[in-house]
Amino acid sequence: MKNRLKVLRAERDWSQAELAGRLDVSRQAVNAIETGKHDPSLPLAFRIARLFDMRIEEIFDDGEHHDG
Amino acid sequence: MMESIMTDKGPRPLGPGEARTRQRRRNQAIYIGVAALAGGVIGFATGFFDQGDGNLFAGDWEDLKLPPAMALGIAALLLAVFVALPIYGFRMIDDYKREQNLVAFSGGCIAVVAGFPIWAALHAGGFVPAPHAFGIFAIAYVSTIISYGYARWRL
Repeated sequence: MKNRLKVLRAERDWSQAELAGRLDVSRQAVNAIETGKHDPSLPLAFRIARLFDMRIEEIFDDGEHHDG
Repeated sequence: MMESIMTDKGPRPLGPGEARTRQRRRNQAIYIGVAALAGGVIGFATGFFDQGDGNLFAGDWEDLKLPPAMALGIAALLLAVFVALPIYGFRMIDDYKREQNLVAFSGGCIAVVAGFPIWAALHAGGFVPAPHAFGIFAIAYVSTIISYGYARWRL
């Protein structure tokens, strides 16, 4: 699944370790999500969305496009 | 004293997230250290206090002998290392690492389920010695480690 995590993190000048600590996950988990190797669980996706004050679908893109 | 991190522009204070990540790493190092220490104590005690001529690797169970109190102590330590510590560890790790551990333990389980009948069939054909408990344990242990390595590489 594509996502904008790396861009959002860079905009805030955060390291992977900084983001990982704020999300209470390992730095490896952040790296795996950023590189698309791992999809976060729904609770973690909500935590990410809240941290960046965005909606989940503004951060993650599953490639499905819906009209309306 | 506030911890800092080295950057291209010199040292800067750790962010709150970085401090938490460092704490997580420290906890992980303590966890691995405790597990390694307990494993070392078990290995040393088993080797040092063994009073028989048995061989764990060859499956000579009848000749393995430990003082009863030592045997109870080792059993308690094994319970801690193979049950309590992993359960505690699973509660500490995040989803990503839990997924890696799922692959690792699945690999170990599949290896035993397939390994025992394969070993038994090869023994029946006269190719290998009869299956024994330590061999099965070793299959599970080694397969789990290999599967974990694979998960770390691929996931």
